[in-house]
Amino acid sequence: MNWTLYVRQKSAVLFSLDTWLPTELPEYATGIMYTLGSLTASSFVVLVISGILMAANGPQWWTISPIGFYLRGIHFWAVQSFFFFMVLHLLRVFFSGAWRGGRERTWLLGTLALLVAIPTAFTGYLMRGDFYSQWNAVQAKDGLNALGFAWFNTLNAGQMYGLHVVVFPVILASIIAVHLAWVRIKGVVPPYPAPDELASEEVSHVSSTD
Amino acid sequence: MYHPRTDVTHRYRYVPTDFVKHLLTTTAIIAILTMVLSAVFREPVRPALKIDAYATAHPRAFMTVALGDLDGTGKIANYGPPYNNGTGYVQDFVQRWVGVIHPVFPKQDFILTPLHEASHLDPALNGPLKLFDSASATQQAQWESAMGLALSNARVVSGHVLLPPGAYGPVAPLLQGLLKLGQSGLMTGALDRSPADYQFDNQNSLLFLQGKPLHDAATKLELKGNQWGIIHEEDAPYPGPWWMTIVTAIYQIPFIANASAADALALGFGMLLFIILMVAPWIPGINRLPRFLGVHRIIWAEYYRQHQSSSDSSKDAG
Repeated sequence: MNWTLYVRQKSAVLFSLDTWLPTELPEYATGIMYTLGSLTASSFVVLVISGILMAANGPQWWTISPIGFYLRGIHFWAVQSFFFFMVLHLLRVFFSGAWRGGRERTWLLGTLALLVAIPTAFTGYLMRGDFYSQWNAVQAKDGLNALGFAWFNTLNAGQMYGLHVVVFPVILASIIAVHLAWVRIKGVVPPYPAPDELASEEVSHVSSTD
Repeated sequence: MYHPRTDVTHRYRYVPTDFVKHLLTTTAIIAILTMVLSAVFREPVRPALKIDAYATAHPRAFMTVALGDLDGTGKIANYGPPYNNGTGYVQDFVQRWVGVIHPVFPKQDFILTPLHEASHLDPALNGPLKLFDSASATQQAQWESAMGLALSNARVVSGHVLLPPGAYGPVAPLLQGLLKLGQSGLMTGALDRSPADYQFDNQNSLLFLQGKPLHDAATKLELKGNQWGIIHEEDAPYPGPWWMTIVTAIYQIPFIANASAADALALGFGMLLFIILMVAPWIPGINRLPRFLGVHRIIWAEYYRQHQSSSDSSKDAG
């Protein structure tokens, strides 16, 4: 198969309505436990919308305008909500052993999203323009310098602004998008078999080989 | 463990769902929740520490910070890469290898250059500047040392630092001039001036404040590393970045907290733990752990209950 055909076929699945907006789900993948990932993604949507509105008005705006300050508050609480639901989702996924059945890459990408979310949020904390921004900027520099990440200059507000509003969100959104697509393409991991289910599997397996 | 017969989703019953409605509902929930939280609780904010406010409230401490930058004993003056060629805060070879990519030389950048700029407004600074610039390094060091002694015995009277007599030469009028510049509110601009004149970078003003000024303010707010400061919000009781709890905990381990490369060790160790989490599916033992922990029985309680009752009823029927 040539690579253009490969890209076409993969894209057809990746961008299909069935991948993104299913009309049916496995019986075990319903209820509040299966809403945590959606609540995380929805928090990200609120972050992006409030972030775009703030970025459009410039970085001084949210420190001096009441509307800007209110939006900054929405952005702040959406970050809390994003991490809150993401961690609950991670716990649900871990305790489900959700990497079973060839879903290891989906797990890997989910944890990578958490890893990228940390500097995304951190650069946002540096954009508040208050004492917390100053303190975090000077405190973080030593560790970053020691690990060889001096290029990531927490004291340079211009660089941090660019990373926070474009670079990190684009990387994070891409990771989340592929993660979601893989969840849908592979299907949600089924429950661990109940003991009697395993026993009957065993019996049928033995009888079929007889 | 992968069970090829039971891990295949098509073996399960599917139920109709409206995913458009589902996503719109979760997004509406978060949007309303965050709008209400922002309206009711606002958000944490504590005004930034400004150089003029600090110079006015703590004139002697301001001059002590400035003297450290001038005589090379301050943290940044002796920091090392990426700021300069010092050795005081070099934690490992990687830091040295990256090199000086954000050059900062506090004696010149924080003290002498701003004073030369200020001398256009205050010509009385010209004489001391000329004297200091033309003196030998030894002479400069003697003046600075005498100034350090004088500062430790100085009195503050209504925003002015009254120095006892000493052989501090031009250093006293220079630091008094810098104090005036600091109190005027013009010093932040003098420190952050970029060659292009457009200001996007506040590195130098933050590095000027990063020692005692910011640390004293942070200590009062319990924001320092040994106070679990990374995960504290400045304005209690707002939630802070609690997702950094594990890294913050690593900083509290005495072996790491007391190490000269504490930051490199804490962040490196935190990264190692995260990598273990990322590759958990491939680690024998950990990848089978969830099954034995049994939490999945709560997650799929409804599914198991329904299947238990259906298998019971089929047995009964049989």
